Amino acid sequence: MAVKFFGQFMVEKGAITRMALLQAIDLQEKTNLKFGEMVIEMGLMGKEDIARIHLAQRSEDLHFGDMAVKMGLITEEQVQQVLTRQRNSHLYIGEALVKVGAISGQSLEKYLADFKRDQAGYVSEKIEIPADVPHQPIWEMVADLTYKMLTRVVGISFRPGPCTVIDKMPGRPIIAEMGFSGSVSARYLLSVSESTRNLVAKAILAEDSVENESVEILDDSVKEFVNIVCGNIAAKAAQLGHSIDITPPEMRDDSAHGIAVPEKHTGLMFPVYLSDGEIFELTIFVADR
Amino acid sequence: MKNVLIVDDSIAVSRQLEKIINDDKEFKVIAQGRNGAEAIKLCQQHKPDIVCLDMNMPVMDGLTALRSLMQLMPDLPVVMVTSLGGVGDKYTEAIRLGARDVISKPFEKESVLEMLRRL
Repeated sequence: MAVKFFGQFMVEKGAITRMALLQAIDLQEKTNLKFGEMVIEMGLMGKEDIARIHLAQRSEDLHFGDMAVKMGLITEEQVQQVLTRQRNSHLYIGEALVKVGAISGQSLEKYLADFKRDQAGYVSEKIEIPADVPHQPIWEMVADLTYKMLTRVVGISFRPGPCTVIDKMPGRPIIAEMGFSGSVSARYLLSVSESTRNLVAKAILAEDSVENESVEILDDSVKEFVNIVCGNIAAKAAQLGHSIDITPPEMRDDSAHGIAVPEKHTGLMFPVYLSDGEIFELTIFVADR
Repeated sequence: MKNVLIVDDSIAVSRQLEKIINDDKEFKVIAQGRNGAEAIKLCQQHKPDIVCLDMNMPVMDGLTALRSLMQLMPDLPVVMVTSLGGVGDKYTEAIRLGARDVISKPFEKESVLEMLRRL
C-alpha cells in the first residue's frame, strides 16, 4: 500500500534476494553514465571542462548540459546527442536483474505486469493546475497522491475542488507542513479542523476512539499523515525522473489568522469537500525559479 | 519470542507499530527510542533480537545510527521504517549499510509481521 520502485517490489515478493538487487544496482551504476561521464566517453569534453562546469554550477542553478552550452563547451545539438545516447543505452533495473542472473527474461515480463497492477492505484489522474505555474505535472501528482492517501489511509469520502492560486491561506486551527527541495522547492501545508484531525489520528493510531488522547498525539498523527503522503510523493517523483528531498513535518503555530504566501512563491490551494462539511485543505507554496 | 526495539521520533508511529508487533505472540516490544543516538544506547542496554529504526529522525538520523550499529553489532537484524522506502536511492543506501529490509509506510499489518518473521 505504498509507492514502490521495482527492485523493492521484487525483494518484498521474495522473487529476488537483497544481495541480487545490490548486484543489479551496481551493474546499473556502471552502465548508466551520467551526463558528464557520457560527454567524456563521446570525446566531447575533457575532465578539466567537467570540473569547470561543476564550479560554475555552484553559483548558478543550471543543469549540467545547459551550463556546458552557456560556457560554449558544447552545442545544443551535441546536448541532444548525449541525451539520446544516454536514453538508448539506459539499463533498467529489471534488465539488470536478468543480466546478473537473478531472474529470467521471461519471468521479467510477468513481474513487470504484476508490478504495474500493484502500482495502478498510484497512477496520477488529470488535475487542472492554473497556467504559468512551474512544474505543473509535479503539483498534479502531489494533489492526486494526497487524495489517494486520504482514501487509503484515512478512509473517508470526499470530493476534490478546483485548484486556485491564492495570496493568503485562510486561518485554520491546525496546519502541518513539510518542505520540498531538489528538483522543486516548495512547502506542503495541510489544514484540518479538529474533527478531521481526530479522523486522521484514529486511522494512524489504528484506534476506534481518540477521545482520551493528548493534543500532542493527535497533532503527531497529522504530521505522520503528511510524512506518509510526502514520502510517497518523493517516491513517485523518483519514478518520474525527479528528485525530491523532504524535511521532517512540523506544526505551524501561526495558523489561526491565516498565512500569507511568501515572496517569490506561488500559492496553490486544493480544497477538499468532506461529506460532513469539515475542513481538509492542501496548500502548496511553490518557489519561483 | 523475539524482543523488538522500536526507534521513531513520532509517538503515533511507535504506537501503531507497537500494537502490530505486540498483537503477535512471536514478538514483544521491549523498549522504544526517539532518535538514532537513543537507538545505539538502547541496543547496548537491551540486546534486542530485532530493531525497527526510523530513517528520518532529529538528533541522529536512522542511517547514521545504522552505520554505527553495524560496526558495533554486525549481526543485529535492523529493519528501516520509512515513508521514503519507494525512493530507490534511499532503499539501496539502507540495504548497502546492512539493513535486512525496509518497511514502507503506510503499514500493512501482515506485511510487517511477515517481514519480521523472515529475519
